[in-house]
Amino acid sequence: MKNITSRAWTGLALASAATVILTGCAAAPTDTAGPVAQIDYLACAVSDEGSWHDKSFNQSVYEGLVKAKDELGVQTADAESATPDDFAPNLQAMVDQKCDITIAVGFNLVDAVNATAEANPDMNFVTVDGWSNGATNLKPINYAMNQSSYLAGYLAAAQSASKVVGTYGGMQIPAVTDFMTGFYYGAMQWGMDNATDVKVVGWDPASEKGDFIGDFTPNSGTSKTIAAGQIEAGADVIFPVGGDQFGAVSEAITESGVDGRMIGVDKDIAAASPEYAQWILTSAEKRMTLAVFDIIKQTAVDGQAFTGDVYLGTLENGGTALSPITNYSGAQAQADVEAKLAELQAGIIDGSINPLG
Amino acid sequence: MNNAVETPVVNRGNAVLKEILSGGATRALLSVVLGFVVGALFMVFSNEAFLTAAQYFTARPADSLAAAWTAIADGYSALFRGSIYNYAADDIVVAFRPLTETLRFAGPLIASGLGIALAFRVGLFNIGASGQLLFGALWATWISTRVSLPWGVHLVVAALVAILASAAYAAVVGFLKARTGAHEVIVTIMMNYIAAGILTYFFRTPELLREVDGGGTPKSDAPAETAQLPYLLGDQYTLHWGFILAIVGVFAYWWIMERSTMGYRFRMVGHNPDAARTAGINVERTFMIAMAVSGAFVGLAAVNQALGARAGMTPDIDGTIGFDAITVALLGSSTAPGVLLAGLLFGAFKAGAPAMQVIGLSPEITGVVQGFIVLFIAAPPLVRAIFRLPPPQKSTVVADWWRSLVTKGGRK
Repeated sequence: MKNITSRAWTGLALASAATVILTGCAAAPTDTAGPVAQIDYLACAVSDEGSWHDKSFNQSVYEGLVKAKDELGVQTADAESATPDDFAPNLQAMVDQKCDITIAVGFNLVDAVNATAEANPDMNFVTVDGWSNGATNLKPINYAMNQSSYLAGYLAAAQSASKVVGTYGGMQIPAVTDFMTGFYYGAMQWGMDNATDVKVVGWDPASEKGDFIGDFTPNSGTSKTIAAGQIEAGADVIFPVGGDQFGAVSEAITESGVDGRMIGVDKDIAAASPEYAQWILTSAEKRMTLAVFDIIKQTAVDGQAFTGDVYLGTLENGGTALSPITNYSGAQAQADVEAKLAELQAGIIDGSINPLG
Repeated sequence: MNNAVETPVVNRGNAVLKEILSGGATRALLSVVLGFVVGALFMVFSNEAFLTAAQYFTARPADSLAAAWTAIADGYSALFRGSIYNYAADDIVVAFRPLTETLRFAGPLIASGLGIALAFRVGLFNIGASGQLLFGALWATWISTRVSLPWGVHLVVAALVAILASAAYAAVVGFLKARTGAHEVIVTIMMNYIAAGILTYFFRTPELLREVDGGGTPKSDAPAETAQLPYLLGDQYTLHWGFILAIVGVFAYWWIMERSTMGYRFRMVGHNPDAARTAGINVERTFMIAMAVSGAFVGLAAVNQALGARAGMTPDIDGTIGFDAITVALLGSSTAPGVLLAGLLFGAFKAGAPAMQVIGLSPEITGVVQGFIVLFIAAPPLVRAIFRLPPPQKSTVVADWWRSLVTKGGRK
């Protein structure tokens, strides 16, 4: 026994030594010069439950942080939260690290970030999708997602052969239902413009009832069941608002055999996740990368004072937008629909169209 | 070893468990050390500076070694800073916060670890701590947000209700096992989902526990001030009386297991249910009582989570405590002092994780260390059981050396 073990260890040691020697024979670097001059500014972020690589809003914020590091030369620190128990300690770790700005991602952190901001009035915080209970050192980043979702709903109705479109959410919270409400009224608008009955399954803004997974677990069985149920109800375009649910929806579409499409959220999903590209009609982008980068740039480089004023991403300031249309096969010509979408976008920006009904 | 055939096959799982738990302090300590070594390897091999330097290892090996050393030193000093003493802090109050956070995280781990440990000692695998915790937290939240009682009474009532609810929820498992023979592993796992479903339903229904004036999220109100566990060391630390409750739990566990008649029955059934039955112990009833008491300890963890909060709670209030508790019980060899120390260690991991993440380490590292510690403890008996190897000979070098130390001075 003993002999075998020691021989095994010797073998393992030899093998790893060989690996090191074989792979480790590159020349040693002589000098290193960073591409960007480093500046003395520490930008930090704490994730919602889920990782920075969730192909959704955590990742959008993280990319903003990385962009700031690469292009502005700021230092960064980040922490992922696995459970709600981690929110406050992670934020506290950023305070201990003396971050110049700390970005708390997601509605779930709103209590924790408000408490931390109040306890540390001389430090600056940002809450994505949250709000400030009065702390002036806490800046909310919010999005009028109903605006781009309205356009998505209009496009979905134009694409749909059955004139039934579906949407469902991760959880019934304002940050989610805002998408769904915009989508609903956009689809209804297409029906009015073309004197056709359009049906939206999965969300009714009037009664505030609809289909929700209950959490933001990516591609859960529940998610697929909801998508399959909506397809069963006739929907052939689905707008899942709950992070990465595109695996679940595409499976439901494939298994049902319908010529279905789905609409991405948060990022341009056709570009970010090419494996889903063949089903993607468009995406309602929530450009958090941009907002995070801009806020860091304003305070770190441009010398602007940090304020607790709300940053609201709209169609007008480019904070939210519709991604390029792909896989369109509706009865109307794509150019006509795009012209109409441009018209609607202008109407939303000048205020003549209200995407919330 | 001569008559292995006579060993009843039925109790093989039980025997493995017994062997895992009988490892003692030396094995636990060595496993922790090995766990840290594995953690260090992970830190080194996920370290960018090291990987870059390793590419020219033969040209300048010192770079690789320096990078490896820096990675390990940075990682574990961040763990120390985040869990024990923040030597980088400006004032003493802030510097000691990590230690208080460790204790705060340790509270529910110790309490639920005791619950699992108790079941282990009776030969039961209680995998249902998360469900029992959720069920207890549900009723604690009900009392703390929907009932108004005077200061003091409110907290006591809420805590007692939580403990009773968790105990009752666990007792159902004991009942099913005693009456129908349903295996407690299956039943406790299923009941985790049931509890999570019930809690989510209560937290999302406005007439039940949903936050007044809340949005659509499943979230409760914060516990009423009269029902909150008070801060133990003043407002500058979030450490609350839940930790003291856990310590009381440790003493209660010790007394129950080592001093009471009930504990004697528990241990007897755990050693050998057949012998216990022959000796006149009602094994079925003992299973039920043991599960209830196990649940009561988990209820203490529910009290920590539900009444230690200062903000509204979400349905994942159990975090990973339910499963961490199993590892705490295993590492602690199911003894009162063992569980206390294991809970403190894992509490320190939880408290230190943010500081490790901030310096760029992956948050999974402490999880890996925890996993390996348990693996090192549980693996030898498990591997032996799977391949039906004979148990190790009693006299090993270490044991001989140890015995020579102990018996020095004429003790026989």
